Formats: sequence, C-alpha cells, structure tokens
Amino acid sequence: MKTTIKLLLAILLVPILINTAVHAQEDAADLMKKSHLAFYYAGDDGLAEVNMKIVDKRGKERVKEFTMLRLDQVEGGKQMYYTYFRKPSDVSRLTFMVHKTPDGSDARWIYVPSVDLIKPISADDKNSSFVGSDFSYEDVSGRHWSEDNHTITGDSTINGRAVTVVESTPIDEGYKGFAKRISYIDKENLLPLLERYFDNKGNEVRQFTADKIEDVNGITTLVTRTMSDLKKNRHTTIDFVNIEYNIGLTEDIFTERYLKTPPREFIK
Amino acid sequence: MKKLLLIISLIAMAAMSASAETYLDGFVQGLYGARLDENNPTATEHTASETRLQMRLQHFGDNAEFFSRTDFWYDAADSSEYDFELREAFLKFRLGSNFDFKIGRQILTWGTGDLIFINDVFAKDYRSFFVGRDDQYLKAPQTALRIEYYNSVGAFSVIWTPRFEANRIPTGRKLSYFSPMAGDIVGDGYYFMAREPEAKIENGELATRFSRRIGNFNAAGYFYHGFYKNPVGFDPDAGVFGMPIYPKLNIYGASVRGSIAGGILWLEGGYFDSRDDRDNNNDNIPNSSISTLVGFERQIANNLTANIQYQFEQSEKDDGVEYTDDMNDARTRHLLTSRVTKLLYNELVTLSGFVFYSPDDEDAYIRLSVAYKYTDELNMAIGGNIFTGTDEYTQFGSYQRNDNIYLKFTYGFSN
Repeated sequence: MKTTIKLLLAILLVPILINTAVHAQEDAADLMKKSHLAFYYAGDDGLAEVNMKIVDKRGKERVKEFTMLRLDQVEGGKQMYYTYFRKPSDVSRLTFMVHKTPDGSDARWIYVPSVDLIKPISADDKNSSFVGSDFSYEDVSGRHWSEDNHTITGDSTINGRAVTVVESTPIDEGYKGFAKRISYIDKENLLPLLERYFDNKGNEVRQFTADKIEDVNGITTLVTRTMSDLKKNRHTTIDFVNIEYNIGLTEDIFTERYLKTPPREFIK
Repeated sequence: MKKLLLIISLIAMAAMSASAETYLDGFVQGLYGARLDENNPTATEHTASETRLQMRLQHFGDNAEFFSRTDFWYDAADSSEYDFELREAFLKFRLGSNFDFKIGRQILTWGTGDLIFINDVFAKDYRSFFVGRDDQYLKAPQTALRIEYYNSVGAFSVIWTPRFEANRIPTGRKLSYFSPMAGDIVGDGYYFMAREPEAKIENGELATRFSRRIGNFNAAGYFYHGFYKNPVGFDPDAGVFGMPIYPKLNIYGASVRGSIAGGILWLEGGYFDSRDDRDNNNDNIPNSSISTLVGFERQIANNLTANIQYQFEQSEKDDGVEYTDDMNDARTRHLLTSRVTKLLYNELVTLSGFVFYSPDDEDAYIRLSVAYKYTDELNMAIGGNIFTGTDEYTQFGSYQRNDNIYLKFTYGFSN
C-alpha cells in the first residue's frame, strides 16, 4: 500500500519537478542573456582608454595601454572591435581589429605601422590569451550566453550586494575554456561581480572579479576588472578610463582604411 | 655638417615632444653578429656590430599628421662611423571624405606573401634582413606620394615614387655574394655597384592597386610601371667592363586573401613584362616571366602558428631557340617556405623559424630566432641565418658563406 502511494506521488510529482527545472533553466538563460547584454553590449557603441596591468607570481608588472572602440551591429549578436595600442613602446601605434560573430568564427586583422603591413590573423582559438594577459579573446568580448547550459543555484551576497548564483556548463563537449563556471550576478545592475571557472577535475582555475562599478552617462559600467589565473598565481587588472557611450561609430571605421589611419576624432 | 644636422634634429624632437599633440618614442638597440664560415671573403669580420637609436616623432595638427622615424647608429663592424637615416618622414591628411594622402619618405607594403614579394615592388633591404636586424628593416624607405581613394566599390591606391629606389642587396662588405663576372663568391675588393636609372621624370616608379572585400576574402589587382628592383640586367657598354643595371619592368598582378578552413589562405600572381627585352632576344636583359604564389596559415596548437607557401616562377623562352627539358627546367623555379611561430610563457618568449627551400635550385635559407621580453622596455633576442646551396649561382646558394648568429638587445621608450 505504502509503495503504491509513493509510486503514485512520484508519478504525479515528476512532471511538476521537470516543469520547474525547465523553468529554472529558462530563467537562468534569460538572466545570463540580460547580464551579457548589460556587460558587453552597453549602449550602441562605446569607447574606452584601457590600462592593463599584468602581474606575475613574482609580482613583476607589465603594463599595456590602448584605446578600444566597439560597435554593436546586432544587440546580442555581431560586434566590431578596434584597438589602438600606445604602450609598451614596441607595439605603439599598432592597430588591431575584430569582426565578432558569436555563432561563427571571428575575423581579426592586425596593422603593423613600422612595415605598413596589414595581416589577417587566423583566429581559431577564442581561448587564446589577449595580448599575453590572463584575459582570453572570449573574456574581452564575452562568451555568448547561448553556448552554455545555465542553472540558478541560489542567492548570495558579494561585497554587500545581493547576487543570483548561476552555474553554467558548456554545451559543446569539446570546448576547452572551462568545464564549469559559477557566476554571481548582481540582482540590481545584472553585472557579474564574480565568476569562478573550474576545470574538468573540479578544480577552480580562474577567477574574474568586478573591482569597481560606476555610472557612466546613465549606464552602469564595470570600470575595473581582474582576471586571476589561480594555477599560475598571476593576474591581470584592466582599468577603463575615459569611457564614452553612443559616440556615433559607424561600420566604415572598422575597415582597413582606418586600421592604417586611426580615426582621430575618437582616438586621441 | 652631418653632426650639426643630427644635433638640430634631436633638439627639435625634444622641443616638439613637450606639446600635447606630440608623441616621442623609440628604442636603443645593440646588435652583434658573428659569421660562422671562416672562408667568407667579406671585408668585415662581423656581420653586425652596431648601436642604433630610433626616434619616432608624431605630431597631430587640426586635419593632418606628421610622423618621422629616424635612425642614428654607430657601425663598429665596418665603417667605424656614426650615420643616420630618415626612414620615415611623411605628412598624412584626408581630402574630403574619400581621399587619403601620405606624402614623403615612407615604408610601403602590399600584397599577400609572407617574405615572398610579387606585386610588392617597394624597396627591400636584404643587407639588414640577412644579419638579424628587426623585421621592419627588411623594408627600405621610398620617397613617394601615396593617394588612396575609397568608395563603396573598393579602395584605389596610387603610389608615385619620383626617384627610383633599388633593393639593398649584399655588396661584399659585410655579406659576400656570387659574382657571375668573377665566377665565384666574392667579398672584399669586389664592392658591388650597379647603375641606377637616371633621375628623370619618366624614370619614376608608379605602383597602383585596386582592392575590395568579397565575402570573407580581399581581392586586389595591381599594376606597376618602373624597373626591376634588383640589378638583374647588364649593360656591356657601360664603363670598361660593363655594369649591372635595373632593366625596365611592368607588372600586372592580382591577389586574393581570406579566411577559410580555420585559417588564412592567400593566392597571388603577377606577369613581369620585361620592357627592354619584349622580343626575348637580349641575353643581357631577363625575359618576361610569371610568378605565382599560394599560401596557407593557421593556428595548429595553443600559441603555435604555422604557414606554408609555394611559389612557382617561369620565364619566357628565348626567341628562336629550341628548348630541351634541361633548358625548360632552368627557366622555372619552385620555392617552398614555412614559418612556425611558438609563443611561450604568456607570450613573453617567441620562438620563430622560417625556411625557404627550392627543390630544383637545391638551395635553402633558414632563419631562426628566440626573443624574450624581459620587461616592457627590454627585449633580448638571439638568432641565426643559415644559407645553403649546391650551386653558388642560385639565389640562396650565392649567400652560402654568410651564415651568422646574432645577439640583439632592445630598449624601448616612450613619453
């Protein structure tokens, strides 16, 4: 008798559980989408002067300075990036351009002024390091929310702010960037305050932290962020200064013409 | 006089860099190269022993930009003198919204090849390339006017170089070469000289390109009107023994480059119209020829990129001559190249290898280097240049006694 009731209950409950699980996943994906848009697609375009500091395990610092332009062609979809390097001096005036396609492969070009050379870069690996830092190309322009399965696992607080905890696993089994990621999304501004990356053995290998958030022209912006490599015991901090949004960038700026001659109206 | 110029330019740079729209940066570099072949007949013991200062100055006006790149160096290997070169000094501005101008001394590059040049007819400096100087020194400057016109159809470029600028090739001072006249590899006492085209308006160089994007690819067509950049011709009536010359040349070419199969593919070709020997009956002037190139590059592992290239060249047959198989082989050349680049330690160490190999000429040129970014300012490199060839008269066989290793320290600075 008891087992029959249990069985009945189980049969009745399973659809409900599945249903809530599906809803939870949808909610999680929706949250990650909103977070992604708030983080990587703020405004229609943007400009920032970037100070990057790479600190190795001995505390030795390397500094890179560059200006970055971004244009969103499709909200949550295609984007164009333009980077003008100032420091260190061996890469000064070098320019770099990415046409990002979230569900395809990106196109990248580099222009080396000392030899007047434009070179397309074979860009297969989004997990490769961005200019030798702890940020990968994917970290800089964002990993699209649709590439992972997301589950909300609870609530928490980070530095006194209420966050939603989301666990993400890559849909593509061959993906090498991480096996699991836990994101702590600010309930109010939707920005990730903390991201913990785990390898397939369950070890935490990388950590992303939002260090400083400011209001820039009405858009809540992450101005300082750090990516730590916990295995190599090193980290990279990126500081955005002089941020501007909706400055009227157009697609023609992200072409070879401007790769050779940086647009002075945006890159001072 | 030279000294005065140098001092004035240094002061001018320092003064200008004080204002807000001016940037001053550059590097100091020591390069020391030792030859590996005891029997190299060159004038100098070392392939390089130099201290170099490069100063870059950039100034922005309201609608124009000025940029200069000046090298000062002391050459302890050969002349024991300081010298300088204005590698770049140009002004750049936009006219309307479609025209870009770049006027003055400048480094110019186009085409798709990796260290193989078909439609890139801008001056090369092999004297620098073979002794371990930075990649930028492979390109020699030209004093030119560049006009680029952009519209929705594509980009049209015209480069006019009023005074012919030859390639800088080994002369026997620091690098030996094969002399067909001497029938041997020569160096000291055989300072190589060639007669350049006279400085007349009609002897300028005109290089044009039209390029546009088609899907994932960039396609371009080229036309060049000028001269062979190497002294491949000979004027028997010049001087007492005759003299090498730069024969007249037109090039008609095209290229395509784009991403495919997770990598970059490029194809380029050109027809070299030897204007002084269109009938193919002058033995002192090369016959017209074709040159084609295909290359592919991709990342093959984490921080490991490799490419391969294949080039095929064939010159036209001499007029009225019956060609045997051997003779046909002699007018063709196959060249294979490969570049492998590996980045280590968070991109602080770069291992690089580049091989040129011609199976039919049976010669090869290998470039190897290890570079380490010790700090943001200080970069150290060690490398080597190895030439080998069955025969002495082939492209790389000609330089086979110039094997060298070098050590290079670079300190970069900026304001």
